[in-house]
Amino acid sequence: MERSEVRGLYLLAAFLACAYAMPFVVGAWTGTVRLDERWLGNLATVVIGGIMQGGVYAMFAVGLTLIFGVMRIINAAHGEMVMMGAYLTWVCFFYLGVDPLVALVLTLPVAFLFGVAVQKLLLNAVVGAPELTGLLITFGLGLTMIYAVELIFTTDFRTIPYAPGTVRLTNTIAVGQNRVISFVMAVVISTGVYLFLKLNRLGKAIRATALNAEVAMVCGIDVRRVYLVTTGLAAALAVAGGALVSIQFGFNPETGVLYTLQAFAIIILGGRGHYLGALIGGLMLAVLENLVSLMVPNGTAMVELAAYGLMIFVLLIRPGGLMGVKEG
Amino acid sequence: MDGCSFVVPRGKISGLIGPNGSGKTTTFNLLTGLLEPDGGQVIYNGENLAGLKPYQIFRKGVTRTFQVTRIFREMTVLENMLSVTGLGVPERVARQRAEELIAFVNLGHLRSEYGGRLSYGQQKLLEFVRALMTDPDLILLDEPAAGVNRTLLQHLLDHMHRLQEQGKTIVIVEHDMNVIMNHCERIFVMDYGVKIAEGPPAEIQRDERVVEAYFGRRR
Repeated sequence: MERSEVRGLYLLAAFLACAYAMPFVVGAWTGTVRLDERWLGNLATVVIGGIMQGGVYAMFAVGLTLIFGVMRIINAAHGEMVMMGAYLTWVCFFYLGVDPLVALVLTLPVAFLFGVAVQKLLLNAVVGAPELTGLLITFGLGLTMIYAVELIFTTDFRTIPYAPGTVRLTNTIAVGQNRVISFVMAVVISTGVYLFLKLNRLGKAIRATALNAEVAMVCGIDVRRVYLVTTGLAAALAVAGGALVSIQFGFNPETGVLYTLQAFAIIILGGRGHYLGALIGGLMLAVLENLVSLMVPNGTAMVELAAYGLMIFVLLIRPGGLMGVKEG
Repeated sequence: MDGCSFVVPRGKISGLIGPNGSGKTTTFNLLTGLLEPDGGQVIYNGENLAGLKPYQIFRKGVTRTFQVTRIFREMTVLENMLSVTGLGVPERVARQRAEELIAFVNLGHLRSEYGGRLSYGQQKLLEFVRALMTDPDLILLDEPAAGVNRTLLQHLLDHMHRLQEQGKTIVIVEHDMNVIMNHCERIFVMDYGVKIAEGPPAEIQRDERVVEAYFGRRR
């Protein structure tokens, strides 16, 4: 490692320490930090809750990072695919009476095919074009999806009542059952995708294409097919993410925008196109958000400020993201 | 490339030379489908390859290496080998072939090392054997000698001759004239995208046009 790189890492560590200390400092200043048992219980609860939430966010952010890594396309409709997942789950739950987790068996293949169609009809036309072209075309796709869903389901907020109980770890630490279930599912799915990329033939081809599409081509990899599978997989991850957030939070056709931003922040933080980076980015972001909302007065309004502030400063110190490699 | 035509002899080692920018790498790109010719044909085993996708050409038995080594730096040596697809053999057989090939160039002990951590010479060897994963018939090597020390180069050349003895056809682009003159049976010389000479090494060395292309017109 070069000296400047080592210095950069120290700087990053110092900055991250400050970032995570900030809510505590503000909390101490305004008196929301009380070192009694109940408060410590709350602290543990939000940290655990953050990790659980982060796991789910990270899982669908991986979809975004895959598309970017393989095709250099920034999918601005990723959050809308998450939203679509929430609605698909909702339809399965209320109209077909299918358990939201069992519904994945139905929704994931649909999502995969949707991804394949998007690739064939839209993205194939813009692979290799300047990044803005892909961004614009997916932005258009996102808007179309929002209005299509609005047309069918109106703008009303929907919720899926599912596993409303809480899991009590100690007297003071409790986590919602639905969160635990979502987190476990997210871990299972993320691990599955990771193993697929690491061990499976096609998975390796996806990684190879992401590393260097031209070389992949002369290694006999059918890059077009890799593109199809990648977008299908990314859509499936987004829809799975949608299913897992739908049993925790309310949603309407426009919530997708928030998830797009969230996923962006996560992959930029973690390192564009980097699988593990996305996972780490997801956890870091969600934990910080939860700390802020616990300790900073009027915290819920400050959550996004903290999240995007973190992203911007990490980028300033390390332009490639946490796990990113130097460009070129 | 303009009106450039040549026939590579089967089962021989041929050389493609020419000054910088004369179109050697472009020729390789056209042969392997990375570039699509806007005219002309690439005939291989009696079949026109022009317009086929790179992976299709690859699966017909044409492979290449690159001028600047292009391995997957974030994959291990073995993963680099196994990233080659379309072999039409089960995973177990592919794995065995990969192991044999990396042993063939003495990289066996590095099989789990990341590509980016190999020395440049080792990366070159890795790229070379990766190109052999399909058991190709036509092997295109773009500057195999560049940036490689003498010992390693000798290794590479030995491997090359062993492949030729197995009946493979090899074409090399190279600036090192020793390599070209001592190891190639037929040489094609290009300049500004056209073929200016063709023949066995001894003939090429005396050719006026070749000398001119490399050193300029004699006054």
